[in-house]
Amino acid sequence: MWSGNLRNALSSLRQSRWRTTFTMLGIIIGVVSVVTIVSLGDGLKRQVSGQINQLGKNVLTVRPGTIDGKHKSISNLNLYSYLAPSTLSLQDVASIQNLPSIQAAAPIDFVSASATGDDGQFGDVFVAGTSPGLWDILHERAAYGSLFADDSSTDQQNNIAVIGSDIATKLYSALNPVGNSIKINGQSFTIYGVLPASAGSLLSVTGADLNSSVFIPESAAQNLTNNHSNILQIFAQTKPGANLDSSVKAIQQAVSTSHNGVNDFTVLKQNELLAVSDQLVGTVTSFMSGIAAIALVVGGIGIMNILLVSVSERTREIGIRKAIGATNRQILNQFLVEGLVLTVGGSVIGIGLAMLINLLLRLYSSWRPVVSLPIIILTVGISLAAGVLFSIAPALKAARKNPIDALRGE
Amino acid sequence: MALIEIAETSKLYGFGDATTLALDEVTLSVEKGEFVAVMGPSGSGKTTLLNLIGLLDQPTHGDYKLDGRLVSRLSSNQQAKLRRDYIGFVFQSFNLLSRLSVIDNVSLPLAYKGMPPVRRAKRASDILELVGMRDREYFMPHQLSSGQAQRAAIARALINKPRIIIADEPTGNLDSHDSKVVMELFAEIHRQGNTIMLVTHNPELTRYANRVLYMYDGMIVGDERTPIGYMAKHARRIYFKKLRTTDDDIAAGVSALLKDVPGQEITTKGQKRKPQGRKRGLKQKVSRSKR
Ligand SMILES: Nc1ncnc2c1ncn2[C@@H]1O[C@H](COP(=O)(O)OP(=O)(O)O)[C@@H](O)[C@H]1O
Ligand SMILES: [Mg+2]
Repeated sequence: MWSGNLRNALSSLRQSRWRTTFTMLGIIIGVVSVVTIVSLGDGLKRQVSGQINQLGKNVLTVRPGTIDGKHKSISNLNLYSYLAPSTLSLQDVASIQNLPSIQAAAPIDFVSASATGDDGQFGDVFVAGTSPGLWDILHERAAYGSLFADDSSTDQQNNIAVIGSDIATKLYSALNPVGNSIKINGQSFTIYGVLPASAGSLLSVTGADLNSSVFIPESAAQNLTNNHSNILQIFAQTKPGANLDSSVKAIQQAVSTSHNGVNDFTVLKQNELLAVSDQLVGTVTSFMSGIAAIALVVGGIGIMNILLVSVSERTREIGIRKAIGATNRQILNQFLVEGLVLTVGGSVIGIGLAMLINLLLRLYSSWRPVVSLPIIILTVGISLAAGVLFSIAPALKAARKNPIDALRGE
Repeated sequence: MALIEIAETSKLYGFGDATTLALDEVTLSVEKGEFVAVMGPSGSGKTTLLNLIGLLDQPTHGDYKLDGRLVSRLSSNQQAKLRRDYIGFVFQSFNLLSRLSVIDNVSLPLAYKGMPPVRRAKRASDILELVGMRDREYFMPHQLSSGQAQRAAIARALINKPRIIIADEPTGNLDSHDSKVVMELFAEIHRQGNTIMLVTHNPELTRYANRVLYMYDGMIVGDERTPIGYMAKHARRIYFKKLRTTDDDIAAGVSALLKDVPGQEITTKGQKRKPQGRKRGLKQKVSRSKR
């Protein structure tokens, strides 16, 4: 009986090919968006945590703003802190650097969001001042040229910049722009080195990407901003063998002292940083998938709509089937199977498309989406549930038709 | 015990002012093996009567016993199963499902019974052989002529070995040649001991029946036994009574004429003619207000 229903459903859906396609489209769009968004989120989580792991356990992060209690909630942490004045200062960097357990400390001092090169202006950029310690902390080597080493050189040498790989290709077309100049806030900087292309960015937590970053020496940043620093975070690398927790305490003490005892900053260990970034990505992902799930529901309503039309169009068929002995149950099943074929078909096509989009993103963008089995199962589950749910009303309508009225109907 | 026993059964359609009395306290019993032709003008309740017998519809009043079992008040599911196992329908407009091939149409009642596909295809082939349609098993309905479509529909009606075959104007959409083929088929089915109830407007076709019911205004006004091979007497008499017939009358056959011959003297054996008193008046009032 079920295989008969299936054959039936397929042939009736084939009869109205366009209608079937458009009905499925709702489900397809829903499935594609849910799977893609969640896989992008998962990919981002992995990227960020990969980079945090790459930092090494011995790197601590100091951020402006506070996190309440033990919960490490992101709500109070000012993640987009460069929109508001930071509570961290260069003096904090110095006092952290001077702690006995600290090997190196480097600030990320936000300067500007645009830069001009040979091939025009680049709007999507992250210009920051930092100290040479950053390279060690990030384990970065220059792809071309070299990374600035000493901050205490001449002014001439201070107007140098290290740029990310995206900036190199977009502003200079050539892969090696070392020696060219880049304009930041009207001031010319000589390109000193180019960072290798990175899979993504540690800085993505602050909304920036290493590949489209420009780093200048901290002293030059001070010049550009008239000594108004805006430190988004400070990386602090502990000496080998130093105890992490006591290092955290030492940093807290040192910074707190210079902040007159006000705790307006947060020191995060690697795992805490992970938790925070996961939570941030998770929040954004679930918000987006919520929106995508609405597409799924709309798709389900589309199926209900089409089945209702189909039931009224096939009133006579229902009448004939009932006359030759179909029970209400059998008519109900017939239309339920039709709804299920639509949802299953839509889901399968949707997942196929999502996989394709995934592949294309991996090939042609810096995103690294990850499709996990649980999310596929969950999405298909939701769409099946929606399919059944929205097929019930039309199927019941069909099953309850009075046979003579149905036979009379055309 | 009669196969079909209907006692004082009425059927009302609609509510209030729009009420139609489609069947007016009809009493009827049909034995197994009878070939009953039902005649009467359009709107006289023939289809309503056959729908009740075929369990497609429920009476408003009265009881219906099928094979000794009271069936008029069963649930819709039980009635569906009885339709499947006891009754074969043949319609004027064939009513084949357009998306299914001939063989799938014919075997559909078996599918609803839960028979496995291979067995029901075999059975359907056998039945199609019987109606001379074996070579068109895999045709789609739109590829068939009217006569072929009706033969396929008859095969579908026969596949469950039903006790009663209900045919509502089965030749209404057929030319005279196809009508003859189809009626010969019914005759053959009847010879094998089947019970058939057939609505027709054509007095010629009463030759196949051994009993003719005449209906008028929701009542059975005549019930005639007639030998197979002969046209029913009353049908013939009414047909030739009118002096002038129009083309329409000829097309509609005796049934249309019945309407124009009020008080026609139909004497019946066994069945008393209903006195046409108060109830008749009600009915006329009702139908007039409907128009
Ligand atoms: N579903 C219905 N609703 C309302 N009136 C109906 C319905 N079916 C039949 N009737 C009325 O019942 C009467 C008998 O109809 P029917 O049995 O179809 O007659 P016949 O088959 O002899 O032409 C007619 O007056 C018809 O209009
Ligand atoms: Mg009729």
